Formats: sequence, C-alpha cells, structure tokens
Amino acid sequence: MPEWTKLIGVVIIVAGLALKLRTTLVVVIAAVVTGLVAGLPLFSRAGQEGVIDMLGRGFADNRLITLFLITLPAIGLAERYGLQDQSAQLIRRFRAATVGRLLIVYQLFRVLHGILGIRLNGHPIFVRPLIFPMSAGSLRAASAAELEQIKAADSASENYGNFYGQNLSPVLPGVLLVYGVLTGLGCQVSVWKLVFYAIPVTALSVILGAVQFLWLDRQLRRKGAK
Amino acid sequence: MNGLELVFGLTGLVLWGFAWLSFRETGQRHRLGSACFWFVLGGIFVFGSLLPHWVTGLLVLAMAAMDGAGWVGGGPLESGGKPGKLGDRIFLPVLLIPVVTFGTALVFRWLQLDAVRGALIGLGLGAVLAMAAGLALTRSTMAVMMREGHRLNEAMGAVNILPQLLASLGVVFAAAKVGDLIASGIRYAVPDNSLFLLVMANCLGMALFTIVTGNSFAAFPVIASGVLVPLLVKPFRVDAALAGIFTLTAGASGTLVTIMAANFNVVPVALLNMRSPYGVIRFQLPYAVVMWSCHVLLLWGLIRFR
Repeated sequence: MPEWTKLIGVVIIVAGLALKLRTTLVVVIAAVVTGLVAGLPLFSRAGQEGVIDMLGRGFADNRLITLFLITLPAIGLAERYGLQDQSAQLIRRFRAATVGRLLIVYQLFRVLHGILGIRLNGHPIFVRPLIFPMSAGSLRAASAAELEQIKAADSASENYGNFYGQNLSPVLPGVLLVYGVLTGLGCQVSVWKLVFYAIPVTALSVILGAVQFLWLDRQLRRKGAK
Repeated sequence: MNGLELVFGLTGLVLWGFAWLSFRETGQRHRLGSACFWFVLGGIFVFGSLLPHWVTGLLVLAMAAMDGAGWVGGGPLESGGKPGKLGDRIFLPVLLIPVVTFGTALVFRWLQLDAVRGALIGLGLGAVLAMAAGLALTRSTMAVMMREGHRLNEAMGAVNILPQLLASLGVVFAAAKVGDLIASGIRYAVPDNSLFLLVMANCLGMALFTIVTGNSFAAFPVIASGVLVPLLVKPFRVDAALAGIFTLTAGASGTLVTIMAANFNVVPVALLNMRSPYGVIRFQLPYAVVMWSCHVLLLWGLIRFR
C-alpha cells in the first residue's frame, strides 16, 4: 500500500469528531486502523509489537494522566457541604466597580484553580449563576446589544482562565499529556519544566484578557454617555 | 511495590467503588454497562503493571465499545447537599490536595529523587488526606463521600480517560511512522532551514487541527509526532518542554474559535440565552488571533535567541 494511506487514522479522527461520534471510540478505531494499514500485526508475534499490545502499553504507561480521579471523592464531599457557595462568596467579596474589572478578577480566580490543580467547567457553576448577574448588575439599564456583549465577555473570561491556567499544575491532564507524548517520542522532558514554560503564556493570556475587558469597559462607557 | 504503584492501586479501588455505586443505581438505564466500564478501568489501574499488554489493549477496546454504545456518563452534576455552616473551612480539605502535592514533590527533590513521581505520589497522598480531613470536618460518612465522587465522575463520563487514550494513540502513530509522513509533507512545502516558517507551520497545524476536531488534546499527538519533534526539536536541538507546552497552548487559540468545542463556546450561549450562536466565538476571535501570533513570535524568539 502507498505510504500516504497511513494518514487514514488522521482522517478518521477528523471525520469522526466532525460527525460528533463518541471520541473514545473514534480514537481507538483510528489507532487500530492506522496500525493495520502500516502493516503491524494485531497481536505481537515474531518480535514485532502488535497494535493491541501498543494500545495496552500506552494506556498502562500513561495511567498517571488520569490519576486526578482519586481526588473526586474529597472534592465531591466538599461540594456537598457548600464548596461552590463558599467560592461564590469569595468572588462576591471582590465586588468590582466595572464589568471589565470583574472579569479580570474572575479570569485570575480561574487561573488560581489551575495552579491548585482543580479542574472544572465554570460556565454552569460560576458564570451563569454568579458572574453574569454581577456583571449585568454593575451596569444599570443595559441595552440588549450591550447585554449580548457582556454575556460573550463573561464566557470568554471563563475560557481564557480555564484554558491557560490549567497548565500551571503538574498533575492536570494538559501537562501530563504533553509529558506522556513527548516521552513516548523519545524526548527528555520534566513536568516541572513544562509548568515553568507555561508561565509566560499564562501571564500573556491574563494581560491580553485585561486589555480586552478594559476595552469593553470603554465601549460601554461611551455608549452610556451618548 | 513502589509508591506510585500504590497510588495507582488506590485510584483503582476508588474506581471500583464508583463501579459498585453505578451497579447499585436501580432505575438507571445503563447501570450495568456503566458499572462494567468503571470496573474495567479500575482493574487497569490496579493491575496495569502486571497484565500482559495485549490484555490491557483488549480491555481498552472493550471500554471504547462500551462508551460507544452510550453506556457511560451523563449523570446529573448537581450535588444533593445543602450549603453548610462550615464557612471558609470547607476550603481546607480541597486545599490539602495541592499543598501536599507540591510538598511531596519538594521533599522528593530535596532527597534527589524523581520529582515527577513525587508530585504524583503527593497527589495520591493529598487526596487521601483530603478525604480524611473532609470526613472529620463534615462528620459525614465514607458512603456519602463515595457517592459524591461518583456523581462527579458520572457527570464527566468517559471523557475522563480521553487524554490517556490519546497518549496511547500517540504510541501507535509513532510505531506506524505517521509522524514521519506528515513531517516529509511539510518538509516538501517549507524549506528545511527556515526556523520561523517551521515554527509557524507547527503552530498553524496545531490550531487548524484543533478547530476541526474541537479538541487540542486530540491534535497534540498528531502534531507532536509529525511536526514538533521531527522538524523542530530534533534538528534544532530545541528544549522539548518549551516547544511542547507552547504547541499545546497554540492549540487553545483554535479551541477559542471553533463551534466543535461545544462545551466552551456553544453551551454558554444556551446557558446565558444569547441571541447569536456565535456570540462567544466572535468575542474571542481577536484575542485568539493575537494569542496565536504571540505564540509563533515567542517560540521562534526563544529558540533563535536562547
């Protein structure tokens, strides 16, 4: 078979995810098909490692990526006894005068989650019940267009803080995936160096976020003055 | 038995606990399938170093099939609990986890042992101490605590194992030399000696692949094996950690502008009842473009002028 047919695995991933099929199934099928097309045996034989063996080896060797599961009982228990309400209280104490400043604080708050190795989706937990009412409330009589802007900015603040903050922890899946893949490709890396090099990017993400949110403040002020 | 194996074992026990709770969930449609999935995953955690790789491989296929059949996940996210009167003290058990993680890593480093292992062993130790502290603080029971953990686990579902699965995909891609193929394609288009263009191709590939798949974690093994390692890290003797983490976050720019990342860009539109389905993406677009450009310039600069 021609060399390029090996790219079938990449095609399967792109097509499978675009069709919204189950990601786990798509990834495993892509792995098996790629291995077979490349002429690897299914199971190890005659000194050649099989595709299934590789899947098993990769999965067992990279258990460290999924270790965070062991923290779920403690976090779940804390949630039951008011962790989220208390977090909400914590944000409320930083009552900021403008939408932009509130969102800067919120982005930093989410980066802090990353540093602490806590992984969560803040849209339902913080943005909907808390950040949106606070940001809409700080602006009296906002127009529909302004509200739409504010909602978008609220969601963006969550995404910026979440995406770039999580790489500051050596035990979250982002850093551990990079560690696992690069080690598998024969590179010498340490998770501490990964975290170290993530610092400039995270700092930049916070600064750029601040610029955009303060710009939003300016726009809202101008419209309000008219 | 070393410390890390012990932590894997403990994680496996927690997963078996979740499996038992899934099994006990009468009335749940796929309780058996879900229980089976977490039981198998727990087994891989406990016995992963002892099982022959082909057995683990078959178990991985079985898990993917169970998730493909729609048996796993989709539980409610809300806790049934009531806000307590514990105040800020409720942060204590949760804060124990990172404090112990970093503390153990530091001790390992001080003893001149592997600090990566230290962090992971610390994570396990911190989780156990957090459980104990949480139980002492709330005067709750082990059963309640496991049920709360199970709730979080079910809400995330099989997505939990995706990064681990993608790392195994990377192993197969490396053996099939898929990376070399992509690398030779890019080498064909980009002159070998142009560091700037190679850095750009690396970051562009990562962002585009993430836009199409909606998942920067899925893009990373492909780009790392096809562009990053063969075309940048090896020929230019670049620090792999530096280039690796920059490549991953270059993908985040892709996540910010794609509707494929529904959790982040589409769900909030619904949650906040926005008028335009692209409202969040439109706001994030200029930020993503600037962030991406900064990645290219910074990565190039750090390699060129180190």
